[in-house]
This record gives sequence, structure tokens and C-alpha cells, in this order.
Amino acid sequence: MKINDVILQTATKLVLFVIILFSIHLFFAGHYYPGGGFIGGLMTAAAIVLLLLAFDLKTVAKILPFDFKKVTAIGLLFAVGTGAGALLFDAPFLTHAFTDAYLPLLGKTSLHTAVLFDIGVYLVVIGVTLTIIQTIGESE
Amino acid sequence: MAFQILLNIVLAFVYMFLKVSASPVTFLVGYFFGLLVIFIFRRFFQSRFYLLRIVAVINLFFLFIKELILSNIAVLRVILKPKLDIRPGIFALPTELKEDWEITVLANLITLTPGTLVIDVSDDNKILYVHAMDLADAEEAINSIKQTFEKAIMEVSK
Repeated sequence: MKINDVILQTATKLVLFVIILFSIHLFFAGHYYPGGGFIGGLMTAAAIVLLLLAFDLKTVAKILPFDFKKVTAIGLLFAVGTGAGALLFDAPFLTHAFTDAYLPLLGKTSLHTAVLFDIGVYLVVIGVTLTIIQTIGESE
Repeated sequence: MAFQILLNIVLAFVYMFLKVSASPVTFLVGYFFGLLVIFIFRRFFQSRFYLLRIVAVINLFFLFIKELILSNIAVLRVILKPKLDIRPGIFALPTELKEDWEITVLANLITLTPGTLVIDVSDDNKILYVHAMDLADAEEAINSIKQTFEKAIMEVSK
């Protein structure tokens, strides 16, 4: 039997973006409030899972033509690169640095290299979660 | 396109509520992240990513400014010329544009090109009747209009 998913699909179209925005909020809240790369990545993955529930694997693969194994690899590269970057400045591996910068428009912003490490975590979590879900979903 | 812009604005407001901050900077940051998410999910929408269309509109605007200046210089040259050797005439310009607003924009742009003026549009919206100040190169005028204006307008509505 073919079920008409029009309500689920239409609701997904809006809710998806709100969830991803919330995940970005969680990601950047990580330094001062509960949140961070792991939960942010998981939340983004959850949004894509909602997309998978409302549509099907093929549609989602067309909307997001990423190889999620590569997303994982890029995330790991980010993490290792941030750690190795410290070596260039004669500091031990994974030493982080931060500075308060006055950016145009944004005003006083504290920039911390831990965010780059967190982006790595974020991408790895998305990549791993979606690889697991897609692999299970594809197998008959 | 309107849906994408509306969604982007809603996302910016959602971000402001999440941050509990009513400052314009938060709105801009939220708008930026919304734009990023919409860009990543651009294949999700029926129409293309709306920023491309906005770029096309800005292109059209600069084309308009350029043609406005050029047409005024061209008319100035004809006025200041001591010998009146122009050959005025009317030619038909077939157009591929469909929407009412597209034809209106095209007609207004042609009116602003050097030495051409739209007089009438045929009932089926397929032919524009253009008055040229110097008809010697009507064929060339049609081609140049088609190449520049029609293409730029199609880029917007694509």
C-alpha cells in the first residue's frame, strides 16, 4: 500500500532547517554552555535522519551528494591538523591558543582554535552516524 | 525563491530567539548560518539557490545603469552633430520572453538603449515594435538586444 506522506514531508521541509540551526547554536554554545561538537553533530545527523524518514535514501542521496565516509575523514583531518598546527609554533601537540579579535560587523569576538578541533568532532559524528544509518538502510 | 528568502529570515529570527539576543548582529549571524544551511540543502528546493538569482538581478541593474549612460551620450552626439544624416524607422523584434514583467522590463531597457524606443507590443506578447533612430543596422540592433538584455532577464527568471 502506498501511503501519502504529504504532511510529514511538508513539516520536514520546515522543521529540518530549524533543527540544523539549533545544532549550529549548540555547536557554538559549547565553550560556555552545555553543547559542543558531539551533540551538535548528532543533532545535525538527526535532522538528516528525519529527512530520510520523510523521503527515501535515493532522494536524500540526491539532495546531499556527499560520501559520508569522506566527511569523517575530513573531520579527522581537522582534528589532527589543529593538533599538529601547535607544533609549528614550538608548542606541544594539541596546545590551543585563543585571542580576542575585533572583527568588522561582529565586534569583539574571542577566537579559539578549539573551535577548529570541534568542527572536526562535528564532521566525524555526522559522517559516522550517517554512514551507519545509510549502510543499514541500504542492506536488504 | 520567495519561499527561500522567507525561510532564511525565519531562521535568522529563530537564531535570535535561541541566542536570547535582539541585536542586529545576531540577526546577521543567524541569517548567515541560515544561508549556509539553505546552500547545503539547495537541491531540496524546486527553484535554484536564491542568491544566484539576486546576483542576476544586480547584474541586470548594472547593465541598466551602463546602458542609461551610453544612450545619453549617443543621443548627445546626434544632437551636437551639424549634419542630420539619420534614417529613422520601425522594426519588429521577436522575443522569447513569456512573463508580463519580463516583457515590461525588456521594453523599458530597450527604450533606454542608444537610439531605440519601444512603441508597441503585439497582442500575443511575442513581438515588440521598436522605433530606431538610425535604422541602418536594425539586424545588428536586434542581435545586440537579444544577446544582452534578453539573456540577462532570462538569467533572473530561470
